[in-house]
Amino acid sequence: MLKIEHLTKKYGDKTAVKDITIHIKSGEIYGFIGHNGAGKTTTLKSVVGILDFEEGDILIDGESIKEKPLECKRKIAYIPDNPDLYEFMSGIKYLNFIADVFGVSESDRQERIRKYADAFELTSDLAQPIASYSHGMKQKLAIISAWIHEPKLIIMDEPFVGLDPKATHILKTMMRELCDKGGAIFFSTHVLEVAEKLCDKVAIIKKGELIRQGTMEEVKGDDSLEEVFLELEEESDNYNASKEV
Amino acid sequence: MFGILLKKELMEIFRAYFYDAKKNKKRSKTSTILFICMYVLIMVGVLGGMFGYFACNICEPFSIVGMGWLYFLLMSMIAIALGAFGSVFNTFSCLYMSKDNDLLLSMPIPVRTIMAARMMTVYIMGLMYSAVVIIPAVVIYCVVNTPNAVVIIGGIMLTFIISMIVLILSCVLGFVVAKISTKLKNRSFITVIVSLVFITLYYVIYFRAQVIIQTLISNATVYGSKIKGEAYIVYMFGRIGEGDIKAIIGTTIVIAALFALTYYIMAKTFIGIVTSSPKTKKVVYKEKKTVKRSISQALFYKELARFTSSSAYMLNCGLGIIMLIICGGFMVVKAEQLRALLDEIATNAGSRMVIVAIVVCVIASMNDIAEPSVSLEGKSLWLSQSLPIDTWQILKAKLSVHIILTTVPSVICIICAMYVVKADIIMDILALIMVVLYIIITAMFDLIIGLKRPNLTWTNETTVIKQSFGVMIAMFGSFIYALAQGFIYINFAMNIPAWIYMVLDILFGIILAGLLGMWLKKRGTKIYRSL
Repeated sequence: MLKIEHLTKKYGDKTAVKDITIHIKSGEIYGFIGHNGAGKTTTLKSVVGILDFEEGDILIDGESIKEKPLECKRKIAYIPDNPDLYEFMSGIKYLNFIADVFGVSESDRQERIRKYADAFELTSDLAQPIASYSHGMKQKLAIISAWIHEPKLIIMDEPFVGLDPKATHILKTMMRELCDKGGAIFFSTHVLEVAEKLCDKVAIIKKGELIRQGTMEEVKGDDSLEEVFLELEEESDNYNASKEV
Repeated sequence: MFGILLKKELMEIFRAYFYDAKKNKKRSKTSTILFICMYVLIMVGVLGGMFGYFACNICEPFSIVGMGWLYFLLMSMIAIALGAFGSVFNTFSCLYMSKDNDLLLSMPIPVRTIMAARMMTVYIMGLMYSAVVIIPAVVIYCVVNTPNAVVIIGGIMLTFIISMIVLILSCVLGFVVAKISTKLKNRSFITVIVSLVFITLYYVIYFRAQVIIQTLISNATVYGSKIKGEAYIVYMFGRIGEGDIKAIIGTTIVIAALFALTYYIMAKTFIGIVTSSPKTKKVVYKEKKTVKRSISQALFYKELARFTSSSAYMLNCGLGIIMLIICGGFMVVKAEQLRALLDEIATNAGSRMVIVAIVVCVIASMNDIAEPSVSLEGKSLWLSQSLPIDTWQILKAKLSVHIILTTVPSVICIICAMYVVKADIIMDILALIMVVLYIIITAMFDLIIGLKRPNLTWTNETTVIKQSFGVMIAMFGSFIYALAQGFIYINFAMNIPAWIYMVLDILFGIILAGLLGMWLKKRGTKIYRSL
């Protein structure tokens, strides 16, 4: 579903992401973890076509985001780390705007809006302007808008931030359902417990480089993901220090 | 703390002078100085020169009859009107609508300091407008009369007092708008309507001003004695400019007291206003049948919703819509007088149609909706970049809103002009094409400026709607293009048949529009994608 091949992204002289290769198959929930500034958001933004990149390629369902950006974008949905939506619109107008862009039929969009807005208890607020929404409500709206066109691949940057426990549970269920139907999800998170329970595969990034990836069992073995993550961070630091010496 | 906050406020307004958004780095000192000089040149050269010329004409007649105070009173009224008018659209958002309200209130900063910094910004903006009137007035007075230290002190104090009056008026207006807006649902439209009432009043006074001023000059002694006898405070105000110490001290005390009261009320009510939500009934969503739109339609309605959601956007960038309709109505009502006036300027109906079409273009140049449309995407830019939308479609939607909202009232206006001029059908059609083409060209030009000078990190939308250098370039550029058409016609093409000039103008317009369109499609889309 998603193939990131030797991705390298630079900001001026600084290399933000270096030679990253990740393959995500249909049905997989793929977690992406790393410390702040490790390169997670840069990778995700490159995948959804917001950022251009210098080297490598990104293939979505076999098509390159560089060569066929619109075709690729039609298959994906993206939820950024901060849901800055069109604040001048009401919730329902925003959902209809997204549905229009993806060409969702009237009946399908109404059914999906009803289903997901009810699940997130957002229905009664849909006529309100987004500017009056709390962070959590905006996040819920961003999630509904991502699911409204039933994408094959969903890219999410810290999707659980700002969500209440019930909404978190609903989102996790929705993620699993989408993958069970043949979709795929690639998301970044700092909540390692969630990643451990939810993800089929995981990749750990540090200073723009992948330091480990694979199935959850391959990455963590008998330890917890948190222990492995901290251990890898330390190992990587020591390795870099010895390299410098 | 006040200094830090003020610096932050000013940095945002004058960001373009210090920071190159295109190269994403700080400007060099030379470049900053050059930009500031250019801005000063426009403010002082254009506006200052205009009011200086006006002061030149009226100072001597008043001075000869010993009515210098009436001259200062008149110029002060103009300065106050311009200062208050200049800041009327942005005071509310400048004082209360900043996105960093919560951040600042959570910090150990006294509310009065936050308010003082914001009021200082309003003061500087008001000062910029009022000073271009009153400083030339003082200078001209000193040139016409023998200057002495007292007159100079009086001039300085008058400038200061006027700027304080502008500040107080702007703050009171901003406060009233804030108070009203907490109780209204459609506050953007209400603000627009209230502001339009002010604008109408302003223009009514402006158009009558020449007659009033002429009457005042002719009967300076009579009116002067009347004002002195019946409104002594007003007389004393005018005396400040002449260096009357009693008037200076008295007015300064009154203004200081009024300012202290305004500041006290503003600081006291600040938290209440910025943390309150409008007392309107919550609209509960009820499922309705939706209509599926094409991507182009969805983008167009999105841009239209952005425009109508902000009173500041509508007033600062779409004022031409109302002005074009008013102008059309004015043409019909004053058709006879207008015909007589046009007969004096041009001998045939064709030439008269060219002139009227250029006037419509000048008014249409007041609209610069497309310019801030890129910057207004702000932090939600990720949406249009990540959705499966062709970038050219996004730019076309921005252009469409500008073009449609300006073309509709322009067509109404030009139809009214056809009724007045009564030219033949060919000239009517050519005039219509010329105006529509002008609107298309200026919309493209505005969008190009918006793409070349984006600011996506604003905390107050007024920064990109009104205070940016890009907006100034867009407005002046469109205005100059309209004037250039008129200048060329009157000076070089009055002798050729009007239809030939129109056809040549249209051909030039088509080529220009084609070039701008090509630039937008190739370079513009690339810039937008890389923002």
